[in-house]
Amino acid sequence: MGVGIPHFGNVYIPVKAMAQRLGATDTDLIIPPSMTQKTLDLGVKYSPTEACLPYKLTLGSLIETCELGADILIQARGTGICRLGYYAKGQEQMLLDLGYNARFLTIDVSHHKFKSILQLIKDMTNNAPWPKIIAAFFFGISKLVALDKIERVVQKVRPVEWEKGMASRIYREAIKAIDEAAECKTVKRVSKEYIDKLNKVPKNDKAELIKVGIVGEIYVVIEPFANMDIEVELGKLGVEVERTMTLSRWVEYSLFLNYLGINEWRKVHKLARPYVDHDVGGDGWESVGEKVLYSRKGYDGVIHLAPFTCMPEIVAQNIMPSTREDIPVLAVICDEQLGKQGMLTRLEAFVDLLSFRRRRRNGARV
Amino acid sequence: MIRVGIPQALLYYQYFPMWKAFFGTLGAEVVVSAPTNKTILNLGVSRAVADTCLPVKIFLGHVISLIQKCDCIFVPAVTSLGKKTYNCSKIIGLPNMTRALIPECPIIFDPEINLEKGRYYLYQNIYKLGRNFTSNPFKIKEAVEDAWKSNLAYQNKMSDKGITPLEAIDRACQGKQQSTFDSNPAPLLTVAVIGHPYVIYDDYLNHRMISRLQAMGAKILLPEMVPRSALDAAARRLVGEPHWSFEIDIIGAGEYYLENKVDGLINLSVFGCGPDSMMVSFVEHRAKELKIPFLHLSLDEHTSEGGLVTRLEAFLDMIKRRQRIWV
Repeated sequence: MGVGIPHFGNVYIPVKAMAQRLGATDTDLIIPPSMTQKTLDLGVKYSPTEACLPYKLTLGSLIETCELGADILIQARGTGICRLGYYAKGQEQMLLDLGYNARFLTIDVSHHKFKSILQLIKDMTNNAPWPKIIAAFFFGISKLVALDKIERVVQKVRPVEWEKGMASRIYREAIKAIDEAAECKTVKRVSKEYIDKLNKVPKNDKAELIKVGIVGEIYVVIEPFANMDIEVELGKLGVEVERTMTLSRWVEYSLFLNYLGINEWRKVHKLARPYVDHDVGGDGWESVGEKVLYSRKGYDGVIHLAPFTCMPEIVAQNIMPSTREDIPVLAVICDEQLGKQGMLTRLEAFVDLLSFRRRRRNGARV
Repeated sequence: MIRVGIPQALLYYQYFPMWKAFFGTLGAEVVVSAPTNKTILNLGVSRAVADTCLPVKIFLGHVISLIQKCDCIFVPAVTSLGKKTYNCSKIIGLPNMTRALIPECPIIFDPEINLEKGRYYLYQNIYKLGRNFTSNPFKIKEAVEDAWKSNLAYQNKMSDKGITPLEAIDRACQGKQQSTFDSNPAPLLTVAVIGHPYVIYDDYLNHRMISRLQAMGAKILLPEMVPRSALDAAARRLVGEPHWSFEIDIIGAGEYYLENKVDGLINLSVFGCGPDSMMVSFVEHRAKELKIPFLHLSLDEHTSEGGLVTRLEAFLDMIKRRQRIWV
């Protein structure tokens, strides 16, 4: 029996940690290989033509894990408004047609998220005792939180480092170290170590930073392969990036605090209310609200990432230009046709525009 | 007398008799935009982001064409039509998009129809809508009852008599009686066409595909001709609990007609339709299993009429050859 998961950002690290804590061997959990052009090609080949990029990428990733011997696959499920609800169904059928005898276990991401995740773990571990499951679960989450904490520092260091690429290198080391950590204490120590290391990277403090917020659909925002490493590229152009959408935040709120009536998006929804007054599915409502939020926070620009034909993001994209807040938005539509050079050219042009605006606002004649 | 504008696009084909009865009883005049034409299409395309699907662009064009002709425009946000089912984001966000893209638009009435939040929420929203026209709650109740009655009559007319929404609307609202639909003398083959009503019945969008198929000698079956219960059952067999309200009609009809062994199945969809892109692959898969010819046509504003006709002819020829109607 091998359990496979689709590749999604750093999600494989906490999953691996949980599995190890629950006594799984190497053959029990199959870690998806990191995404390459081959993953994308496989996904594109076997998906419906007009399916969205996250569908294609996760399908490609699942095919790769199947080839490595997985026969139980984990995928999200939901009764949401967007296509996510049918990912498991469509992919299961495709994998059957391809001759992989894989069974799908799904995590409900729209209702009862916490319960459905824990139940899934319990089913897979042949009824392990609850305390053990919960301990393993929290160990996994501690890794996720540590990774996102380090990433936030990396996002700040990248644009100002003297030696380009240093922060990314340290980040890669940190991911490896955290992946290898076996104790909650080690995770904490390692994370502190690497944050210190990042803070000690020689920096150019005089540079006037351009700040950009990244909003959009969660998969393409978080998975660097889907957005062509947009954060690294912006870092090279000397732009500080912020995104509110992280996996640890999703876990923190969707699995715990939402049950206590705390909604992480309340403020964002309130800001979006003049333009969109109810949920339109996916992350469309949040995208509009976050545009307003970044404008209020004094950011220079917003980059809106969306998969091609994503319904909620198209609604957001249609509404964004007409908001009262005056902040430039660059919409980057991600699909298998997105070319890196083309994207870089657009990013450079966008950053130029932002710095012109900044200088003009400061009174310089351009 | 308040003039309420209703764009002849998107949900018009499903709910127009209901809306007309509602506003009519409340004493408002209903103004319907002209059928889609080139000007309307171009107006809509000029406003929306390129990725937006064609029916939404056409809808925006209809709204723009109504601007001078009415005092308010009715654009409901139809979020959910049942427990745990939703609609496409673009239909949910339609009033917001309309407001953002057409700032010069008159007042938009946008009641949220969300049965997920329960009946009371629905009644509240409809009452709020009615209050714009009258202060008498009983009058609103009467209007709602009238609306529901005409909606039921409309749905029954389509499924019992096997006529298309446009004819049913004509009969319900203008009292026309003649039907052009069954005039074809002896059709050689039956072809089922599935797709959203706003694609199948918008003759400008689909280049008069239905009448073309009829002229080529095919009997056409449409989703609206299947009884509701059969649709639900068929959809459940195919994908389990469906999440998208309007897709139930499409895949349910697809499955229903495939099981009843039609000669061919045509899916008429528009480029970039999110729900269709997922759901139709299930129908396609099923058609492959049952070995029934399946044609997927994806339309957008660039679709050329000639190319479409060639594909239809080739598809019908293939079916005829399979059945040895002529060799």
